[in-house]
Amino acid sequence: MARPRRRDLLAYLVGAGVAGTLLIGPYGLRVAVIEVIPGAAAVQPPFFLLPILWGLWNLLWTRRQPAMSVGRWGALLGVLAGVVVNLLFVAEGGWFRAAMLLPLFLAVVYYLIWRVVIGPLNEALGVDGERTAV
Amino acid sequence: MRTLGLIRAATPPPVRDLWPRLRARLGDDERVHLRLPAFGWREASAIAVALGTLAVVPDPLRFLVACGLL
Repeated sequence: MARPRRRDLLAYLVGAGVAGTLLIGPYGLRVAVIEVIPGAAAVQPPFFLLPILWGLWNLLWTRRQPAMSVGRWGALLGVLAGVVVNLLFVAEGGWFRAAMLLPLFLAVVYYLIWRVVIGPLNEALGVDGERTAV
Repeated sequence: MRTLGLIRAATPPPVRDLWPRLRARLGDDERVHLRLPAFGWREASAIAVALGTLAVVPDPLRFLVACGLL
């Protein structure tokens, strides 16, 4: 039976846990927003995959130990997610002009969350190992 | 009765209150020390860009839905 390293498992759980907590927005407010703006329902990004994506990204952070801060690592994920969501909208035929700003917007939002929440949690739980700078 | 009294006197009564024992086991090592980063110009710039983006887009709510944040 596979025995994952404790740090890897913690890294995944920190990322998945924070992203899962953020899902209160889509699950709690989306219905109300769609009531106000019927057109908003036309775009449906797979937000429910965020915990898996964030968990794996934080696991990758632990494994690779890239030469950048955890905030920038999160911003990189935001850029990638923004590009992928744009491609998804194009494929579904639901693309709109403002979606071009998604990579920039997600980069700064993810930067803040990863720097203020994920980084300190990683450090406090020993996910970062000997690295202390966040 | 005298024997029973001797046995009772020989063994200490069980500890009913478990909290002191639990606290002693946990100790300070089990506490997590969260060190939040200082709020600097990078964070202020990121917040400004995020808010500015929401101000620029024609339909902020739809934009947030597209982000997966709503």
